[in-house]
Amino acid sequence: MNPRTRHALEFILDNLVWFMLLFVLVIFSLLIPNYFQLGIFANIIEASSVLGVMSIGLALVIIAGHMDLSVESVAALSAMAVGILFCSSGIGLGVQLHPEWLMVPVSLLLALAVGGLIGAFNGYLVVRVKMSAFIITLASYIWVRGLVLVISGGRSAQDLAPAIRWFGIQRLLGLPLTAWIAIACFVIFSLIMAKTPFGRHLVMIGGNETATFRAGIRVNRNLIIAFVLAGAIAGLAGWLLAIRTSGATANLGVGLLFNAFAAVVIGGVSLKGGVGTLPGVYAGVLLLSAINTAINLMGLPANFTQVIHGLLVLAAVLLDAFKQTIRQRLA
Amino acid sequence: MKRILLALFGILALAFATLMPAFAQSKGTVYYMVPTLLDEFQTGSVSALELFLKQVGYEMKTLNADNKTDAQQSQMNDVIALKPSAIILAAVDFNALKPSIEAARAAGIPVVEFDRQITSTPSDFTSVAGTIEIGYVAADQAEKLLKAKNGSVKGKVLQVLGDPGDPYTLDIQKGFEEKMKAFPDVKIISLPAMQWEASNAGTIVADQMLANPDIDLIFSHAAHLSVAAVASLESAGKKPGDVMLMSSNGAPVGLDLIRKGWLNVEVEQPLYAQAAAVAMFMDKIAKKEEIKPGEYDVLGLKSTVTKETWGPNIKIPGAAITKENVDNPAFWGNQKPPTDTVKSVE
Repeated sequence: MNPRTRHALEFILDNLVWFMLLFVLVIFSLLIPNYFQLGIFANIIEASSVLGVMSIGLALVIIAGHMDLSVESVAALSAMAVGILFCSSGIGLGVQLHPEWLMVPVSLLLALAVGGLIGAFNGYLVVRVKMSAFIITLASYIWVRGLVLVISGGRSAQDLAPAIRWFGIQRLLGLPLTAWIAIACFVIFSLIMAKTPFGRHLVMIGGNETATFRAGIRVNRNLIIAFVLAGAIAGLAGWLLAIRTSGATANLGVGLLFNAFAAVVIGGVSLKGGVGTLPGVYAGVLLLSAINTAINLMGLPANFTQVIHGLLVLAAVLLDAFKQTIRQRLA
Repeated sequence: MKRILLALFGILALAFATLMPAFAQSKGTVYYMVPTLLDEFQTGSVSALELFLKQVGYEMKTLNADNKTDAQQSQMNDVIALKPSAIILAAVDFNALKPSIEAARAAGIPVVEFDRQITSTPSDFTSVAGTIEIGYVAADQAEKLLKAKNGSVKGKVLQVLGDPGDPYTLDIQKGFEEKMKAFPDVKIISLPAMQWEASNAGTIVADQMLANPDIDLIFSHAAHLSVAAVASLESAGKKPGDVMLMSSNGAPVGLDLIRKGWLNVEVEQPLYAQAAAVAMFMDKIAKKEEIKPGEYDVLGLKSTVTKETWGPNIKIPGAAITKENVDNPAFWGNQKPPTDTVKSVE
């Protein structure tokens, strides 16, 4: 194979998920009336904001060779904390700050802090107590969701303070600010992963933890930071969820974890660690969101939607596996 | 030291003596198997049943199945072993709990179906609003709203279902669509909000408002889904009244949306009356006495007990809540439990 063809093939393989996204958008635009319009594409990006933000944290931990199953519950707890403090009806306490805009940074910091604390707890147990990340974060997934139920009593907080809701309504260049926040997170964390020692170290740790440790890199510190970041980013996802639904219910975000896993895997992150990029993850998130939107627009019978969703995700993952086979042949 | 021990013993004896009469008065323990505690109707049902059963002399303990059928089956087995006065069951899955109901009754424990009707096997009492009937009431309201807006019953309705695995939402859909068949000029688009999760409903509404900007009415199967629908409409620049909205279950958040002008109708499930009816008949249920069919007054609502193949069944009418009657304290969404004391039916 001549080098130019080889480079072209490698480029396609490296960015396969983006090509899949493009393919899916074209197919849906041809098959579904009303799909091909700017508003729908903006919706796809908007609907992917919460899942996208959550997938970033999950991807960081998986790239580092570990697992964080708690992100969905952490997002729910952060959303509930914001909801209880800054909602004015239901179980909301309607806390007012002056000037009003202060509620935006304060609620955001609260969500980040709630998430970061649980992330630190997970990270400490995984790194210092040497317990399995899968088990620890599975336990956190359960107890944190339980905590949401305890503090809410199963009731909901509604009517988020207008200053915070403002984020859900304002648009910039046709996209809501919540979507811009997700995009900004992807850009920032992509740069962190690609351009900083911390990012490179995480990839190395995921590739071979022992070798990285012997190379003199502070594995434990980096891993704890990864868990804290995953928790804090999940907190941010919870903040966005609260804005998107103008409050918080006890079942908020249920099922997001599995979609986040699907997005991360479709985006090319290896569950074994050490492989993956955040732009790829973002493409995976958009792909899932595009499929969801198509299902919404097709108006299929309710019973079929989950099957179709699952099969499309399976197809995407199989295609990704096919990519790995070709890559091995090229090598 | 002796004095302290004596004082402690005295306090304990006093406390024991004070509590004994309360135990003596109790007619027994009733277990309530709640399907989930993740929404206000379910948490409200726990407090309402507890309140009314206490008024007729029963203690109540609640077990939450967290929406898991297998967990509820295990809980039923555990409770059967405890031999309570009765079990009140709001089944996670209508069919899967049938063997558990039969096992309880075989062990001599009466079973009451609450909120979710099971017709495939006999039970000792059933208290329901009727999910299919909620669909009927919703269809009547949709008919009125569409006629008022379009001059005749025509237009486009977006029906946001709950989780497609939950028979509760499927029954409402069945009732709603059955009645709406009479209006061929009404197009209904039905989509599920998986896991009853609000942001899923928000996404559905956002997508559909772009694909079908001529949607006249959005009918969500729970009030919390309407909250997310409103958030999406607001993001799309809509104001209250631009799109008509309707939901079912009568939760506090739904009533708030009516007050704010977003929601036109909330179809209420008469939670307090459903719970009060169980308490009114609990003596007869526990003693396995006959429950006579006929009309009964349950917290001021005319309710009918019928004898069905699955046992005595009370059906309490659900009500349509609108701007005109939203502040009526009888609606459970206003969270003002009735002050009237429930009395056992003689």
